[in-house]
Amino acid sequence: MAYQLYRNTTLGNSLQESLDELIQGSLNTYRFCDNVWTFVLNDVEFREVTELVKVDKVKIVACDGKNTGSNAAE
Amino acid sequence: MEDVSPLEQYLEHCGTQFKDDLSASPQLFNPMSPYDVDLPIQVAEDVSFGSQFNQPKDLPADFSSVDLSFLPDITQDNKEQNPSKGGHEMQGGLDGSVPRNEDSGIFMEESSSSYPHATQPSPGEPGVCPPLTPMTPMTPVTPASESSGIVPQLQNIVSTVNLACKLDLKNIALHARNAEYNPKRFAAVIMRIREPRTTALIFSSGKMVCTGAKSEEQSRLAARKYARVVQKLGFPAKFLDFKIQNMVGSCDVRFPIRLEGLVLTHQQFSSYEPELFPGLIYRMVKPRIVLLIFVSGKVVLTGAKERSEIYEAFENIYPILRGFKKAS
Repeated sequence: MAYQLYRNTTLGNSLQESLDELIQGSLNTYRFCDNVWTFVLNDVEFREVTELVKVDKVKIVACDGKNTGSNAAE
Repeated sequence: MEDVSPLEQYLEHCGTQFKDDLSASPQLFNPMSPYDVDLPIQVAEDVSFGSQFNQPKDLPADFSSVDLSFLPDITQDNKEQNPSKGGHEMQGGLDGSVPRNEDSGIFMEESSSSYPHATQPSPGEPGVCPPLTPMTPMTPVTPASESSGIVPQLQNIVSTVNLACKLDLKNIALHARNAEYNPKRFAAVIMRIREPRTTALIFSSGKMVCTGAKSEEQSRLAARKYARVVQKLGFPAKFLDFKIQNMVGSCDVRFPIRLEGLVLTHQQFSSYEPELFPGLIYRMVKPRIVLLIFVSGKVVLTGAKERSEIYEAFENIYPILRGFKKAS
């Protein structure tokens, strides 16, 4: 028995998570296509023990780490 | 059986399909009735008022009690006109008699306590019964018209629109901002915009679903923004057949609710399985809205195509919920 309330959520596969991040954090845009994530962040601080790097804009390109969906080498 | 007349008058006033049930109905309100002892069992298994509409011929032969707790005026009137006792004495008798109170609990206590002020005679009953076919179950409607003073707030609106052109989803996902496209999981691009904060599902057929808006206008505006994004990417997008498919509202009645009681009296409309889900699921017939009712007093209403349906459903359920307020 699927209730309409839940039907909206499951059908859309849409949580507002990404958008919440947009509002709260510095996420400018995001994209997911061909199993590749692309993020653009603004006003980011990269902190290491010794160094601190501040940038206005950062583009992050990320792929899946696991072997799912991709051919194993060898 | 002398109690039949006022009730019979009311039922005739409403519709003729009740005539079959009249012989059984008034026992509930007669303290002198020898069937009193049977009431609690009858009450629990009882088909609710609405079901009379549904299956008038399937009612059990020994149908000796009727859930008419939603007809407070008739209840009071019935009591008052009962020749065996005076009106107020009867009420006192009903409330005071211990076995009756404990047994009939839900019905009698609620109907007598919730509407102590009802004095209208039954023929004066406002036309609360619209013309009904024998197959129409009806959610009990209370004639007492006190507004709840609470307005449900819209939380989510789902709408659809046809962009009327085939779309290349990969193209859209690669060039649009804030888009996700994972064809293995779901065959649509999931795009989001900040203002109004919404999410859209865009399909290759050109059809689009827009969710998350808090008002009808916002939903339409958001859908137009998505259409513009698609248009700017080079597709000849139009804006056809925008339609709101579902509206969700929520509110708080501000008192705890006895869900067990509610499911017993409104069996026809309720389902309550606390081990599955903590809320009672009430499927109102008119308007056709599903309500999730929680012990805390919070209510979620969904299934509406129009805002007025949400408001109407809440105004319908509020007096019923008042009747099941937890005595703290």
